[in-house]
Formats: sequence, structure tokens, C-alpha cells
Amino acid sequence: MNEKKQDPSDTTSRDDAWVKSMGEFWGNLAGQWLSQAQQQPWTLGGNSANPKSQATMDAALKNWQAIAGAMARPESISSLLKGSGAMPEMLLHMAQSSLGGFGEMHKKMIERLGRVGASAKAYDFQDIDENIFRIWTDIYEKEFKQFFQIPQLGLMRTYQEKANQVLDKYNFFQSTLSEFLNLLGLPFNRAMKVMQDKIGEMAENGTLPEDTKVYYNMWVKVLEGHYMTLYQTPEYVETMARTINALAEFSAARDAVLEDLLSQLPVARKSDMDDMARELYELKKRLRKLEKEQTK
Amino acid sequence: MTQSNIPVDLILAKLAEEADKVQSRASKASEVLLDDLDTAIAKTPYEVVYQEDRVKLKHYLPRTTIRYKTPLLVTYALINRETMLDLQPGRSVVERFLDSGIDLYMIDWGYPTRKDRFLGFDDHINGYMDNIVDFIREQHKLEKINLMGICMGGTFSVIYSALHPEKIKNLVTTVTPTNFDTKKGLLHVWMEHIDVDRVVDTYGNLPADMMNLGFLLLNPARLMIDKYVGFMEHMDNKTFVENFVRMEKWIFDSPDLPGEVFRQFIKDCYQGNKLIKSELEVGGRRVDLKKLTMPLLNIYGKFDHLVPPEACEQLVEKVGSKDTEDICLETGHIGIYVSSKFQGEFAPKIAGWLKDRDHLPPKKVVRKKTAAGKKAPAV
Repeated sequence: MNEKKQDPSDTTSRDDAWVKSMGEFWGNLAGQWLSQAQQQPWTLGGNSANPKSQATMDAALKNWQAIAGAMARPESISSLLKGSGAMPEMLLHMAQSSLGGFGEMHKKMIERLGRVGASAKAYDFQDIDENIFRIWTDIYEKEFKQFFQIPQLGLMRTYQEKANQVLDKYNFFQSTLSEFLNLLGLPFNRAMKVMQDKIGEMAENGTLPEDTKVYYNMWVKVLEGHYMTLYQTPEYVETMARTINALAEFSAARDAVLEDLLSQLPVARKSDMDDMARELYELKKRLRKLEKEQTK
Repeated sequence: MTQSNIPVDLILAKLAEEADKVQSRASKASEVLLDDLDTAIAKTPYEVVYQEDRVKLKHYLPRTTIRYKTPLLVTYALINRETMLDLQPGRSVVERFLDSGIDLYMIDWGYPTRKDRFLGFDDHINGYMDNIVDFIREQHKLEKINLMGICMGGTFSVIYSALHPEKIKNLVTTVTPTNFDTKKGLLHVWMEHIDVDRVVDTYGNLPADMMNLGFLLLNPARLMIDKYVGFMEHMDNKTFVENFVRMEKWIFDSPDLPGEVFRQFIKDCYQGNKLIKSELEVGGRRVDLKKLTMPLLNIYGKFDHLVPPEACEQLVEKVGSKDTEDICLETGHIGIYVSSKFQGEFAPKIAGWLKDRDHLPPKKVVRKKTAAGKKAPAV
């Protein structure tokens, strides 16, 4: 009565038998393949047409036979089954770690996006119409730019990095250009305001000119004055310089991508031509110097 | 009932009148614009007598007897083209010089391409200019020739004359920037803040379109609006349209500026102001303005927004020459050359000044300053 009753839900013995039989099956099969392979005419006498591949095949079959044999041993089966019990837990842990990491990264990105605009608090929103483009440029630089600078990995990383650079530089150029164009538009708004005031004043005094050309001349003069004032301001000079720099940076990033594309085609790249031009320039300079020295 | 302060009836009548005029003008304008317009520029005949790479030397065919022993070489800027001096027959500085009997040469810098991006001050001044001066000296069997520079070409001429004073008899500078430390000209203010290395390293040469846009932005109200409103108002006038198109052709016929020239011009001149302090180095040699011992005539425009008087007027004080003259004309940067009125003043002035110094050895003359194009008082 001490016979252990088999639990119907216990699959250990069934698994043991299955693993053992599978190990024996694959071990025998590998042994047969090996012996058949050795009997093939193209392997006889070591006259194999491709001895290296035959040797590789033989080694693989022997390995497979050895592994299958080892797997069929009771201690291996027990170890495997023990491990298999721990596997779901391990996999769950791995999945939790990975998801947790991605979740954290995602959360931080969302947080960063949520902060968008917070850095612009230093500006006076009473002048939001005039500051909006500057605010946007600042927001872009502080909050969005970093997304294009996430390190790229793998075989294509260099190309991907360059493509990201183009997008980043293009976005930045667009935001500085908007800021610059907005500044250039300001004198129009101001000139219009001045004209309204002047016309109102003249209407009150009964001195409105009949000739429309007079209004136009007045407007152009006021507009010119506003531009001259704007051009002298540090804000304008600084924005202009930043726009030119942003355009140059975008052009350089775009050229870098185009150079990569061109390198796949049978045409010279700009940098190749520049190298050649520099060599030609230096050679000509040396030649002229020598010519001058000789004619002296 | 009181009468309105606003003469609505008169304004409306004027508007109606204007509308009629516009309609009539538009009808005539279509005839003018479709007509055979003469808009060619630089028509005065010349020969190309020397060429090196893209740079050519024009020698104008005499229109009268040559009355000067010393030929005149005109050096234009690398920005825009020398054709401005010969926009149209009857309104041409070139014609006026030729009619005075001057044997006239002019440098045509050509259109720099990307391969010219490495050419700097040294290559243009000690290279092309020096070779051209040597060529003319050899042709005329002369030790020295007369040199006239315009705008950046004037800056080049000042540098050249300081480095090669033994080859220049008389120097004429017109609207020539030599002192860059001024806030009067917008270019001077703007250029202080430009990251020239980034621009040159990216583009190689400074693109002409970028330069043109910069010049238009200097005064958009006048250059981008009022100018074309003026054109619309006169487009039924064939002569006006022809002159306008000639000017447009010249303004937008802009070569790219060689990158290294731009880099050095901005860094050493606009940002470093080295020329007027005799600290500039070209080709490994210091440009010492005291070496400018030849007679110097310095002409500039009172209303020049690109090269204001403050950028020009210090030169005569800094040179080694005792024979100097400053002339400040009441006009702008381009007006000196294209306005009939100022052409009539400044071209004969230069011709006369050169004539005075052509036959006789240079006299000791006290420094003179002439305002608004008036004749300098006799000393």
C-alpha cells in the first residue's frame, strides 16, 4: 500500500519519458545520418569535392548526436524540468524589467513634452504677438531638439544620425526664419498705426490731402523710418545673425546627406571637387611663384 | 448742418482721375513693353588685352586723342560688376574719361565659381592686380601707372598701392571703405555679428542671391516697394523703361564673392578694422598706409548708406602722402556713378586732378577738404 499513487495532474513522469524518447530518437537519427554520409561515394577515399563542407557537416552531426544523447540521460531531464518550472517566472521578470524601462523612458518623454512652454515663462506674455516666434524657437531648442539627438545604433546609425540632423536643422531654421520675418513685418504694422493716427489728426484739422499719392509718400517715408529704427536694434541684428547661421547649418546638414547619396552614384561630390580645387589652387600658386622667380 | 472736414468729393474725384490715368498708362505700357527696347549695357567698345583665369583686362578704344602720358587702371569691387561705369551711352563714366583723353583700362573680375573659393586678398591683389599693373607698365614702357578703385576695389587699390608704391603714380579712391569702425552704415553694424566662418565653410563662395537680398533689405521700403511703384507710374515712357531695365540688369548681375575674400574682408576689415590701423597683413606683408606716398584723391558720398563718410574720410590723415584731397559729394553710393549730375561733377574732377599730376612732378600741396563737390579752393 505504500505504492505511490500517481497524481493525474503530475506530468513529470510523462515528460521524462517524452524527453528520453526524443533524445534517443534524435541521437539515433543523427547516428544514421552520420554513417550514411560516411558511406556516400563522394566521401570515399577522402576524395570529397568539397572536403571542408563535408567536415563541417560531420562535426555538426556528431555534435547533434552528442547533445541528443546527453539530453536523454535522466539527470539532464530532471535538470531541464526543474529549469522549466522557473522559466515563466524568469521570463516574467525579464518582461517586467524591459517594460518598466520602456515605460520609464516613455514617461520621461511625456513629462518633457508636458514641460513644453514652461521654459518660456521668463517672457512677458503681454507682448505675446511679438514674442511668440522667439518663444517657439526657445521651446524648440530646449524641449524638442533633444529628440533628434537620441543616439542611433547599428549599421545605419551614421546615416540615420545625419537624417535626424537635417530634420533638426530644418526645424530650427524654420523657427528662426519665422522670428526674422515677423520682425521684418513689424514696421508695416507700426507704419499703418502711425498713418491711422496722422490721417485721424488731419481729418480733425480739415487738412486731408486730396491726392492719394500724398498718402502713399507719407506711408513710404514712415515705413522707411521704422525700418531704419528696427535695423539698429540689437534684437534685429541678433535674430538676423541667428537666421543666417541656422540657414548655413541646415544647408551643411542637407549637403552631408546628399554627399552620402552621391557617393553611391558615379559622380563627383562637392567635397571631392573642393579637394581638387584646393590642390589645383596650391599648384598654380607654386607655379606662378616659380615663374616669377625665374623671370627676375 | 455743418460741412464735413473731410473733402470726400475731392478725394473721390482725384481717385477717379487716377483710375483713368492708370488705364491709359497700362494701355500705352503694353505697347512699350512689347516694343523693341534697347536695354544693353556696357556698350563702349573695348578689347580684352590680358586674361588670367576668369579675370580680364579691358582696354577701351580711344574716342579722341590720348592727352595723358600715364594710363589709368580702374579696379571695381568683386561685388556686382564694373558695367555700372558704362550703363548707357551718354550716361557713362567710361565715356567721360575717354572724352577727356584718358587711356583707360578696367579690370573685369568675371564670375567666380566654386573652384575660386580659396582665392583671397593675396591672390587678387598681389596676384591678378599686380600682374595686370605689370602688363600695362610693360605695354606703355612706364615705371608707374594711375590707379582708381571703386568701393571694395578701392580698398584693394589702397592695399596694392601700399604694398607696391613704386608702381603707382597717382591713386584715386571712390566710395572706398578704409575705416570699418563706425555705426553709421548698416553693413558695418550687421557685419560685426556675422559668423563668417560658418557661412564660408558651408557655401564656399558667398552666394550672390544672398548678397542681393541683404542689399535689398537695407531699405525695403524704397528698394522693394517704392522703386517698383515708380516703375508702374512711368512704364508708358519708353526711355524710362529702358533706363530702369538697364539698372535692374546691372543690380542683379551679381557674381558670387570668393569665400576667402569674404572671410578676410569681414574678419580683418569689418570686425578687426586692421586696414586703417596699418595692421592688415596680405601675403605675409603688413599693409602700412604710410607707404602711400603718391598723390591721393578720395571721393565719397554724403548720403552713402553702404559706405558712409565716416568709413572713408580718415584715409587721407593716415597716408604718407602730402598731396591728398577729400571730396564729399551730396549723393549716395551709386548716385556718384549713375546720376548724370554727379557724373558731370566727379568724372571731370578726376580727369583734371590726374591732368595736373600727369606732366609735372608732384607738387607739395597742402591737404584739402572739399565739401559737397564744390571746387577746392586754390592753395
